[in-house]
Amino acid sequence: MSEPILSVEHCCTWFDVTRGLLAKKQIVKAVDDVSFQIYPGETFGLVGESGCGKSTLGRTIVRIYSPVSGSVRYKGRDVTGLKGSELKEFRKQVQMIFQDPYASLDPRMTVGEIIREPMDIHNLHSHKEREERVAELLQIVGLKPDHIRRYPHEFSGGQRQRIGIARTLALDPEFIVCDEPISALDVSIQAQVINLLENIQKKLGISYLFIAHDLSMVKHISDRIGVMYLGHIVETGPSKVLYRHPLHPYTQGLLSAVPIPDPKTARQHRRIMLDGEIPTPINPKPCCPFASRCPRATDQCFQALPPMVEVEGRQVACFLYQESGCTASEIQSQ
Amino acid sequence: MSELTNEQVRQLPPEAFELLPDSEKNADFVAMESRSFFQDAWSNFRKNKLALVSLYFILFVCLLAVLVPILSPFTYDGMDTTALNQLPSLQHWFGTDKFGRDIFVRVMYGARISLSVGFAAAGINLVIGVIYGGVAGYLGGRVDLIMMRVVDMLYSIPSLLYVILIMLVFGSNMFSVLLGICVSSWVGMARLVRTQVLSLKEQEFSLAAFVMGASRARILFKHLIINSIGPIIVSLTMMVPSAIFQESFLGFVGIGISAPMSSWGTLANEARMVLNSYPLQIVWPVLSICLTMLALNFLGDGLGEALDPKKR
Repeated sequence: MSEPILSVEHCCTWFDVTRGLLAKKQIVKAVDDVSFQIYPGETFGLVGESGCGKSTLGRTIVRIYSPVSGSVRYKGRDVTGLKGSELKEFRKQVQMIFQDPYASLDPRMTVGEIIREPMDIHNLHSHKEREERVAELLQIVGLKPDHIRRYPHEFSGGQRQRIGIARTLALDPEFIVCDEPISALDVSIQAQVINLLENIQKKLGISYLFIAHDLSMVKHISDRIGVMYLGHIVETGPSKVLYRHPLHPYTQGLLSAVPIPDPKTARQHRRIMLDGEIPTPINPKPCCPFASRCPRATDQCFQALPPMVEVEGRQVACFLYQESGCTASEIQSQ
Repeated sequence: MSELTNEQVRQLPPEAFELLPDSEKNADFVAMESRSFFQDAWSNFRKNKLALVSLYFILFVCLLAVLVPILSPFTYDGMDTTALNQLPSLQHWFGTDKFGRDIFVRVMYGARISLSVGFAAAGINLVIGVIYGGVAGYLGGRVDLIMMRVVDMLYSIPSLLYVILIMLVFGSNMFSVLLGICVSSWVGMARLVRTQVLSLKEQEFSLAAFVMGASRARILFKHLIINSIGPIIVSLTMMVPSAIFQESFLGFVGIGISAPMSSWGTLANEARMVLNSYPLQIVWPVLSICLTMLALNFLGDGLGEALDPKKR
């Protein structure tokens, strides 16, 4: 494979939530020692429960948050310390689609102004070219040219998300972080937006980091998937293989929770029920984050953090796969 | 017609289809005349009759205040000892006071002072309050903490004290009255803008602007403050009457504009002294204050509504 367009290395994004002067320091480790790569033209899906740090990771990549340690490399260059014109250039190439189509558009700007704004900020094109580009973008995302003078509140959720996508595309980005772009939409509209994103990718060759909690949607759109739990990535791999043979016990539990459309198959399906709640991310213990809920946890799991190991071309962070001689199929059959 | 399957439709001869007339081809294209934001706001504002009447009333008072030397042969300090404390007549529209000065002319000269103090104070408060509150709210953290403590300190001292101290230094003129009113009243605007900005800056549209590479100033002024314009305008139009009222109050207690110049407050104070014998004299300045405040409040409501694109 070619050079990754984006590589995240041991990225940690922590928040200090200590209240009061003399209180014990409380740190939320929203993203803790996360590493993965995304290659040009690829869609990398990121799944996990609410509050596992998916969005924080996405926001760290586009530099809304700064990591406390580790690096985010875009085209081989560490972007965590960029400033001034270099940062502006990075912003031009890496964009973000937001979750809530109602909150992500400025209610006092017309659609035309919203889509033109990134070009205004970066001073791209002449005034006339900007107008033409806005019309072109409206067409790409399937809106009508007469929508240009309307305000966001006159549109439905799906249309608003299209406006948001048009704004994102205005700068010709090469990498887009999609932060749950469909979770606020109706199911029938979700498919439209997903298809739109796929078409854009086909046409323009953009890479996506696709954050979602809808597992079947992520499987559909992603080439590779990363599974996140409590600030850690516990498993990554090509989406088809990962769905067929999940390695990490958490991935297994997560996937068995996906509803099956056929009731006959569903009855035979053995669901793995995960007990308990997600532990708090405030001052976590230095052990496997999933140990407290894992059906196959051993003493070792409560004592140390399992490192990421390569198993059959995939990465998984679990002690079950640490012994070199052990293959995935052997462990699954146990 | 009975239901046809897709296959049957595909086999229909071309003659079976009727072409859509040209007039209906673009039926779903809604051609809306393109109007700018302010044209839109103005056409909206005009629908609100009460606000429109208020606007005309305020313009009318302003016009009278400017044109009063042309309209009337009298001056605000010209005394006429042959016509003391007269009732309204054709010659003296509002009557005369105890020195024989024409009350109409004095009320209109008072309008000059009261209105300019009101609008100037509101304008100064707007600029200082919006920038100060916006910066504090947007930067947040320690900067916000320090900036807001300064505001609290200013707010904790009664404004009457400021005015008296300022008057001692600069003398009793319009400038010191204005300064005294402004020193304490921009604080309210700053607090209002700060809370607005605090809640708006967490919204995704301001994050989106940030990710696009917008500068802090652009996000603050183009997104956050524009979006708090509704509450700002409402509080601004409240600020004009409150400044007028404060000035009147200062005049009334005797530390505002000094005689023979007059503001609505000093006029009311003068009329109060002869209230038992000539009660009509107090009606004119008080009526002016009341009507102007009422009109400004209606105007504020109308503006707030007209400037909100969601209420179109």
